[in-house]
Amino acid sequence: MKNYILTLGLILPTVLFGQIDRSIRPEAAPAPTINIKNSEVFTTANGITVILSENHRLPRVSFNLSMGATPRVEGDKAGLSGVAGSLIMSGTANHSKDELDNAIDYMGASLRASSTNVSMSCLTKHMDKGLDLMSDVVMNANFPQSEVDRIISQNEDNLLATKSQEAEMSGNARAVANFPSTHPYGEVMTQATLENIDRASIVQYFKETFTPNGSYLVVVGDITLEQAKAAVEKNFSSWSGGEVYKAELESANNIKGNRVVFVNKAGADQSVISITYPLDITPSHEDYLKLKVLDGILGGGVFGNRLMQNLREDKGYTYGCRSRARVDNYGSSFSAGGNFRNDVTDSAIVEILLELERITEGLVEDEELSMTKSSMAGSFARSLERPSTVARFALNIIRNELPKDYYQTYLKQLEAVTKEDILMVAQKYMTGSNCNIVVVGNEEVIDRITKFDSDGKIEKLDAFGNEASEKMEADITADQLLEKYSTAMAMGATGKDLKKKLKKMKSHVTVIEMKIPQAPGPALATTVWTSKGAEGSKMEMMGMTMQSSYFDGKQGGSGGQGGAKIMTEEEIVEKKKSYGLIPEMNYAESGMDYELTGIEMYDGKPCYVLKLKEAKKVTFEYFDKETSLKTASVIMAETDQGTQEVTYTYADYKEYGGFLFPDTMNLFVSGMQLPGKVKSRKINEKVDLNDFK
Amino acid sequence: MKNLIITGLLASISFAGLSQREIEYVEYDLDNGIHVILHEETSTPIVAVSVLYHVGSKNEKDERTGFAHFFEHLLFEGSENIERGEYSELVEKNGGTLNANTSWDRTFYYEILPSNQLELGLWLESERLLHAKVDNTGIETQRSVVKEEKRQRDTPYSSFIEEMFSRMYPDHPYRWMPIGSMEHLDAAEEKDYVDFYRTFYVPANATLTIAGDIDIEETKKWINKYFNSIPKGQALNLYRDLETLEEEAFVEIYGMSKERFDANDFSNPDGKLAGALLNKLSNSPIRIPRPTEPQVKLSEVKTAVVHDNIQLPALFMGYQTPSQTHEDMYALQMMNDVLAGGASSRINKSLVEQKQMAVQAFAFAFGLEQAGVALFGAIGSAGQELDAIQSEFDLQIKMIQDELISQEEFEKVRNQYENDFVSSNATIAGIAENLADNHVYNGGAEKINTELAKYLDVTREDIQRVAKKYLTQDARIVLHYLPMEEGAEESENGQN
Repeated sequence: MKNYILTLGLILPTVLFGQIDRSIRPEAAPAPTINIKNSEVFTTANGITVILSENHRLPRVSFNLSMGATPRVEGDKAGLSGVAGSLIMSGTANHSKDELDNAIDYMGASLRASSTNVSMSCLTKHMDKGLDLMSDVVMNANFPQSEVDRIISQNEDNLLATKSQEAEMSGNARAVANFPSTHPYGEVMTQATLENIDRASIVQYFKETFTPNGSYLVVVGDITLEQAKAAVEKNFSSWSGGEVYKAELESANNIKGNRVVFVNKAGADQSVISITYPLDITPSHEDYLKLKVLDGILGGGVFGNRLMQNLREDKGYTYGCRSRARVDNYGSSFSAGGNFRNDVTDSAIVEILLELERITEGLVEDEELSMTKSSMAGSFARSLERPSTVARFALNIIRNELPKDYYQTYLKQLEAVTKEDILMVAQKYMTGSNCNIVVVGNEEVIDRITKFDSDGKIEKLDAFGNEASEKMEADITADQLLEKYSTAMAMGATGKDLKKKLKKMKSHVTVIEMKIPQAPGPALATTVWTSKGAEGSKMEMMGMTMQSSYFDGKQGGSGGQGGAKIMTEEEIVEKKKSYGLIPEMNYAESGMDYELTGIEMYDGKPCYVLKLKEAKKVTFEYFDKETSLKTASVIMAETDQGTQEVTYTYADYKEYGGFLFPDTMNLFVSGMQLPGKVKSRKINEKVDLNDFK
Repeated sequence: MKNLIITGLLASISFAGLSQREIEYVEYDLDNGIHVILHEETSTPIVAVSVLYHVGSKNEKDERTGFAHFFEHLLFEGSENIERGEYSELVEKNGGTLNANTSWDRTFYYEILPSNQLELGLWLESERLLHAKVDNTGIETQRSVVKEEKRQRDTPYSSFIEEMFSRMYPDHPYRWMPIGSMEHLDAAEEKDYVDFYRTFYVPANATLTIAGDIDIEETKKWINKYFNSIPKGQALNLYRDLETLEEEAFVEIYGMSKERFDANDFSNPDGKLAGALLNKLSNSPIRIPRPTEPQVKLSEVKTAVVHDNIQLPALFMGYQTPSQTHEDMYALQMMNDVLAGGASSRINKSLVEQKQMAVQAFAFAFGLEQAGVALFGAIGSAGQELDAIQSEFDLQIKMIQDELISQEEFEKVRNQYENDFVSSNATIAGIAENLADNHVYNGGAEKINTELAKYLDVTREDIQRVAKKYLTQDARIVLHYLPMEEGAEESENGQN
């Protein structure tokens, strides 16, 4: 080492760079001025307001057409606009859906539609073709019956899936808690309203809503005013329609005192809490921006906000707790909350209410205010990079009646917001004592949340925001129910008669055909039972066994695509708890843990609910109070990926060998619906359990 | 400082009828070897600050895989002047966002900030390069983060790329994935991580690209301040040792006291000897190891069965193709898209829509720095025989080799490339990334302005030619993905 240092001593050091103290953090330069170009606005003879935002940076152009109608109250057709919106791109009088898709694909363009909007974007050179397709959709969408059927059945699946999706359930409860059913925001689509939606109503919705009068066409990109005028003239001048629908909407609900709204989610291990109430404010109100900053400090900002800090960082109650002020022209609301473990449901509500009150009680810190403002200014600046932002601003100025320079001066207004402003809007809009406290969760948390209700009476809603039928005490015992059920299955036979009937039943083989979404063919589910205690089941698709299982009374296993497995001791113990053609008959002596929890409504019918507890699953079985037959089983199984919920529904009971069995068995799992019909039930056929190994 | 300035305009060529605007930029090298590219775009008051390090998983040792990606996480831990966890906080509370990504060939970091925070962005990135925290505390934290990421990435079928690459390039580090091995990360010691940092996170391996609302001259001054002050060559090691070593250990290595050096005025050490040492080390470059190109030419069909936690079977086929800079890559990528890119591609139409043999079919053309893979895949319908899917693929491949594609398909794929190309330069972050990529991997930043023309120069005959040349039915990898069987776990790998 020393050697080469010596030889190097001859070379003179050269100055590489000067002094720098790296611990000094750079200060921000003066805030940049935001130059938002004024948009050109013109109207057409047929009533379209065209807003043009020229931007020649890239050779792209987009056209975004929004309807001007006030949202309608849909009543017994709630959900109509959504269904219609997803059907607008299903083809026109001139082009099938496939042709539309292909033509758009060919240009590398995009063409999309929603219930009040059609938008197209493409390279400038494809504009003529793109607009040709867009205007065709706007004027000639023809809603083929086959597509209507497909989308309606998709919505049916979604509705059924709602019952297992806490976030959806919470959204529905929030809607009805904040708005009356005579306000569009207080409406929730249900199976009943979906049934009232047909092609005729969809066509009528489209005709009434998609009219040039009062509509807005936002044109953005590489196009001049002259070119835009010519393009609009060529493609949209022949578009005609009725007057635009304008209406005064009902006021939001007036919340007095705290009101607890509970939605039961059987077996849930966490509560979805949303503390929410309507806000009396529109985007054009002078308090709007101040309220947004307040929301950022409280729980809307990226990090370090009060709710996150308190409920996540300090208390560890949750992964995320946020707030959001939703402000628009038709109905605004505030909500704060997140997902919380059952046992901290009440503590979490206490803390959120506390934060809602605390912010009204004193000035916020300088640090939290400046951080929130910087973060909002940055995201505002970044959003400007998208040409569509500028156009959205132009549209907002017109629709929300904002000052013309609202966005030009946005950063200045933001900078001008003071701690005193925040306190003022907090005292005006924030409350911890006139709130809807919406909790979607397990019944066992009810005791923890009742105390928050001002009058001590909590409201219970179902998954769709309808009043949940009160759970009633059962008028019979669990064993009486099981007896009623087996009698009903045996068509009235009891005691010796029933035993005689059962003796005649040597075997029972059922084949069910199940439709699987997106799969090319149906699946066949076969189940067998023999009086000797053997059971087997398998699922086949296109001739291949996907899954199978068997039990010979002593041992069993499973096979198929999942690989062969032998039942564990524990599984055998569990399996032995439900044996027999009608396993329920044997629960009393088989060691099954069962309990009759009461009477609940299921699919509009009062049902006895029997809760079964097994090692790794809890099952809720619903028995029609009138017929005593089983209508559904909801299974909550523990898996490596957490709790998995599977629902079976049973209908169309028919007689086979002196017993009633369902001909329809539908399966719901992971938001998917698998409708099943019985293809055959065979009695006393020879059964080979090897088919199921 | 010798600044070599090339403006994009000088080398410009105009393309009639192309939807492309010239992207102007300035580029030069700092003395310490950092390559700088600046693009001024004033329409929005924001700026993207990015640094591309020419290090990816292919630079890793085979018993220390996953390092490049691990650093993508570790280097957010802070620096001598930035507290742990403060890096992203500083960006967020100043109105910005940040992210990073790692591939086989590169690690890319960027911030998007309001333009008045450009200096903050430069300081942050220079801190990361000069003296990031590489210590056991950060390593422990990030190990668990990376393990969680690995768990999330282990989705059904996701192993197919590694299964493919490991058979395609068995003699090259491309055989493992950037996420690497968790065992390797666990086994590695602090010294391994420090060595990696000192080898690859050096000025000569970095490309600093800034795009957005900037003043070029002012930006250059700040770059000079924060980046040109980063010591050159092995002098950087001395700087880092000055900050991290105890006096005794420092003397052991350098034969003189730490007191002769001042981190805040590093270029003016105390005394001739120290000056000479600094000069010597500055002029001794740090050697950056790079693997040689794969030598093994695939010469046969290799078929393997992989059992995975899946319900539906899947078929994957791969062919060796040249590296991303090869002229044929343009035609190859377009060929791939004609066959299986998008809903209206040939294979999607036949396999998914008409014959319903597959629920999904797709293609990727991987162009990496030292090799490429043309990859086709299909997830079969339930119960579907994979041989039938393979026959259908083969039929489609034979067709594209035997006949020119139709004019309409040709136009469609050209349109899609044009649209994708324009979109990729729609944001300043996109432009910064494209400029840096083109500089490091594609023979020059100027490719950002000429690449689309290369795609549009491709003829239908070229597509047929590359299909014949590269889709070699007698030399390819074929993977059959099947649902797990009992005992499959033990025999899952290595079947041929």
